[in-house]
Amino acid sequence: MTKPTLSRRGFLASTAAIGAATMTTGWPTMGRAEMGKVLRVRIDGDNNVLDPGFMVGGSEVEAQKQCLPFLAEYVQEGDTFTWRPTYYVTKLEQSEPTRIDFELAEGLQWSNGYGTLKASDVKFSYERMKDSDWAGYFDAMDHVEVTGDLTGTIVLNKPFAPFFMVTLCHGPGAIVCEQAVKDAGGKFTIDFPAVCGPYTYSATPGQRVVFELNPEWTGPAPGYERVEAHVITEVKASELAFDAGEMDCTELSPDTLARYQKEMPEDAGITTAGELQYLWMGMNTEHPKLQDVKVRKAIQHAVDVESILQGAYSGITTKSNGIVCPGLLGQRSQTNYSYDPAKAKALLEEAGVSGLELTLRTLNQQERMLTAQIIQANLAAVGITVKVLPVDSGPFWEMGMESKGDTWQELELWLMRYATTPDPYESTQWFVSSQVGIWNWERWTDEEFDRLYDEGIAETDTAKREEIYLRMQEIMDETGAYVWINHEPEAYLHRADIKINTAPSGELNYRRFEQM
Amino acid sequence: MLFYLVKRLGLSALVIALVVLVLFSLLHLIPGDPATIALGPRATPEAIARYAAKMHLDEPVWRQFLIYVGNAVTGDLGVDVFSDRNVTAVVGDRIGFTLALICASMGWAVLLGLPLGCLAAVRPNSWLDRVTGVLSVGTIAVPSFLVSIWALLIFAVELRWLPAIGAGEPGDTMDQLSHLVLPAFAVGLSWVGYLARMVRASMLEVMAEPYIRSARAFGLRPRKIVYGYALRVAILPTITLIGMGFGGLISAAVFAEIIFARPGIGKLIYDAVMARNFPVVQGAVLVATAMYIGIVLMSDLLIAWFDPRVRESL
Repeated sequence: MTKPTLSRRGFLASTAAIGAATMTTGWPTMGRAEMGKVLRVRIDGDNNVLDPGFMVGGSEVEAQKQCLPFLAEYVQEGDTFTWRPTYYVTKLEQSEPTRIDFELAEGLQWSNGYGTLKASDVKFSYERMKDSDWAGYFDAMDHVEVTGDLTGTIVLNKPFAPFFMVTLCHGPGAIVCEQAVKDAGGKFTIDFPAVCGPYTYSATPGQRVVFELNPEWTGPAPGYERVEAHVITEVKASELAFDAGEMDCTELSPDTLARYQKEMPEDAGITTAGELQYLWMGMNTEHPKLQDVKVRKAIQHAVDVESILQGAYSGITTKSNGIVCPGLLGQRSQTNYSYDPAKAKALLEEAGVSGLELTLRTLNQQERMLTAQIIQANLAAVGITVKVLPVDSGPFWEMGMESKGDTWQELELWLMRYATTPDPYESTQWFVSSQVGIWNWERWTDEEFDRLYDEGIAETDTAKREEIYLRMQEIMDETGAYVWINHEPEAYLHRADIKINTAPSGELNYRRFEQM
Repeated sequence: MLFYLVKRLGLSALVIALVVLVLFSLLHLIPGDPATIALGPRATPEAIARYAAKMHLDEPVWRQFLIYVGNAVTGDLGVDVFSDRNVTAVVGDRIGFTLALICASMGWAVLLGLPLGCLAAVRPNSWLDRVTGVLSVGTIAVPSFLVSIWALLIFAVELRWLPAIGAGEPGDTMDQLSHLVLPAFAVGLSWVGYLARMVRASMLEVMAEPYIRSARAFGLRPRKIVYGYALRVAILPTITLIGMGFGGLISAAVFAEIIFARPGIGKLIYDAVMARNFPVVQGAVLVATAMYIGIVLMSDLLIAWFDPRVRESL
């Protein structure tokens, strides 16, 4: 028996041969997928609950939009978001202020042998939402009347103008298959019991979700045969994957948006979905140091918002003038105050206040901390000493709530950001009198504001609604309790030959992506 | 040996029990209401009540602890807050990816680090020893997350030789291996340096022993002396280091799994912490700890097996 030997030359030759064979045969080639076949996008985590009633939101809504029917969908007209009926309906109209009639398109099939889409599915889907985690979206709905196999009426318990934009177009407005959900035990989580849309759904937890063409779909064909949504937690990793040619579309973080705008990669484009977030500095109107409206107005005049937009957000966000976000009815073009340190000093003098010391609380997050530090410097310039207090998310979201302790009594200044839906009513709901001690941490009340809130919900005339929401924001400015800062965009980096489609709140709708 | 094994198993069980206690306490030590933290500030009171009931948060703390321990002992690590999936299954889906990453990382580090250490020890103060020393310290000093980013920028973004994200197409071994190269390189790099330095130091000590001098005097071949006699003894502290190193690699794997968007237990824990998905955090940390304790136990047993002195002292 001969003993195997390996000489130095033999080792080098073998290694080279193995390396060459690997490179030429099995080694996968990197780069972009075949055009028109596969679209590669990012999702920021696993879809844990696809059921519209119990979902978390975000990418779960994206999945619902590909696989479930909706009565209405968002459409952007110029700079404004509005709605239109989807392919699933041949009629969707408000016959009376409290009645919305619909007629479903014929012959749309549920998968897994569950038959055609029926009006009874709409009734089941919407009425079950009233007992779900998203019940708030259906507060205004009383019930759904089924008038035929494909026809029915959504009956509201009060006129509710935002119902189309806030409820029907968004994730909670998804329609599920009544029989399939009942067979699944009344609720589903990581898979759809039946789909009725251009794509089927399959997920590999921790890795990706794959949407493939639904063979039973008879509606308009989507732009891509297959969509691979990769689970990438960190947006920056996704940006690198785009640079490496492994992604076709990815969300951009605010700090890198500025860099990409300056140095756009070859064959790439940026699309801004919406700016449905509003950041402000709030003031507790009941706190002894801030009870005098002159002091609060002095603070409004002392903060240089432009320097925050440049210094903390690299100039990529839109300056805020109130709680109504860009693209929505009632967005303001200016505030009642402006940056004027001299006026701020005069107001403080008028109020007889000197040596004021305040605490500014903020979430411990990069942009928010930078914003706080700029405000600290701005207020120091008019003689107000500010201590910045970073707070973790758990205690932060409870600090203004009376039910969660006594911190609300110590609150002075804080940085707060809310996200909203594409209708101004949602932004205003947190500041009515009944929200004092819940989400109205500024703790002011105003009868006119409360009245206008109710009128805004019921009013269907666009011009009148706009007047209402403009006036409500004026009232908020007059309290002196707010310094409006910015609206952060939901921005996407994508291949230049793709026209992407997003909801105003940033969810991608792959079925409406187009190749250019 | 049997007594030693029983003693070590008992100690391991005690450590795991302590970890269970700490993990359980975490949920109650975090400021704020656990249900509100988990479900977010806008959760409805009904959703909070449902969550509290599901997680037994409405029970006394001691009873919650007993329920948790009782379930954990039977392999039931609870239920994912959001998907209702069994945490044991969720962790089971990911642990293979982390084990593959850790083994690949430590594997290439051992394959390169051990010979480098031996060569440096055989020719102390030679140019090879000096170069190895500089490289070792260099690789030890650079944190693995930085190596991950550089590797990704160079080999995936610029050269496009290797994939940037994911774990590869399920069922396609070559694709999965190609997706393992960069993360394993990034995680294992610092261990090349560690192992080379450790083996060099041990080898230098052993090479000065009288029995090595005797072997030389008897005219045995240098390769036989180095690999047959010296390394067998010098490797012992290195085995302990490798065992302990697996724990460090689990931490390093968190960064690699996030940066390379690989599934794995580290990323699972990170995502669960971000989502305040406490049952998954508790279950995954418990499994990672048990894995670490198991590996350290194995390394101790290996040392006892390799070294008769250790065996005899038991």
